[in-house]
Amino acid sequence: MDTAKLLRVALDIGEKMLISGAEIGRVEDSVRRILMTYDMQRADVFTITSSIVATVTDKEENTITQTRRISKYSTDLDKLHSLNALSRKICAEKPELAQIKQELAEIDSKKVYPFYVQCAAYALIAGAFALFFGGNFLDAAAAAVIGVILKGVVFAADKAAVNMVFANVVSSFILCSLAFLCVFIGFGEHADMIIIGNIMLLIPGIGLTNSIRDIISGDIMAGMLRFCESVIIAIAIAAGYILSALLLGGLIK
Amino acid sequence: MNYALQIITAFLGSLGFSVLFNIRRTKLLIAGLGGMLSWSVYLLLGLVFDSDPIRYFFAAIFVTVYAEIFARIKKTPTTSYLVPAFIPLIPGGALYNTMKFALHNDWQSFGDTAVYTIQLALALSAGIIVVSSVMRMAHALYRFLFPKKQ
Repeated sequence: MDTAKLLRVALDIGEKMLISGAEIGRVEDSVRRILMTYDMQRADVFTITSSIVATVTDKEENTITQTRRISKYSTDLDKLHSLNALSRKICAEKPELAQIKQELAEIDSKKVYPFYVQCAAYALIAGAFALFFGGNFLDAAAAAVIGVILKGVVFAADKAAVNMVFANVVSSFILCSLAFLCVFIGFGEHADMIIIGNIMLLIPGIGLTNSIRDIISGDIMAGMLRFCESVIIAIAIAAGYILSALLLGGLIK
Repeated sequence: MNYALQIITAFLGSLGFSVLFNIRRTKLLIAGLGGMLSWSVYLLLGLVFDSDPIRYFFAAIFVTVYAEIFARIKKTPTTSYLVPAFIPLIPGGALYNTMKFALHNDWQSFGDTAVYTIQLALALSAGIIVVSSVMRMAHALYRFLFPKKQ
């Protein structure tokens, strides 16, 4: 077995897990277990939110290190589930590398929900939380419409690859402005509830929960990075809101 | 009526997020129900406790246990159930109020709400910490009592 190739496949799995939304401990553990399954003398894996480093020593005393840089996440918990199952299977059955690569390709080809379903989900979430926080049904309808527009903005920002902070300021600014305009023309009564419903879509819930779990499991550095990221996003959302309220908040009293 | 609406919308909100996180089939329902139950537990705890952070703490414990149980049944990472079920507990409303006080230059209330938001976040973390640590200890104990044959 070619150690370098094995390490590459193991890191492929680790990288995809991290991108899909796994905690740091799970990534490190999976990569290390996969490597040790193939009779390595020693395997050291270190992961933070933006990078994976793995060094492995095989039976012929060859030591190899590879690193990965992760610059973008897209939460996909179904993919994470499949990757986790694959990594368990590798540890139990010790399959050939070609077979692992084939299964990885299969996992990659799995689809996410189509765009219109995601738009519907945005509308559902924004509408539901507008009601949840005490809005009426008209507010919920306005929030749902803005939710669909928000999905468009988030999608465009993602395609244009603008940085995370700016994307959140812009998204938040647009959604808040739309909420004020809706209330101004009489489509919805409480701008507050419409905005809260949509802000729930931007709040980095998964980042925050994972950061706490990382810190508990001892991955302090990774946890702090993720935590800071979440706080910065929250500040960006606030900035967008305040900008919008200063410009347009006067429309409604 | 108000509470019933909150419970229903908590379910819908969690369900929506499960779709965004690409959770599939029956897992979608488990994740959505988790969100509904987490908020129901929070509301029920209101009968016993007055303090919001305490209610959040116990609700977080409940959600984490729920997620860990289904993760083991379905052999899937805990994250799949934990994150969507947590959504209704995320202090979005408190965060919004904090922003609003900053906007109106009401720094007294801003400080109070900011501290309140942080308290809620800490209560949630404490809930996750307690359950995760107990699960780890239980796992270690299990390994110690029934060692794997090499």
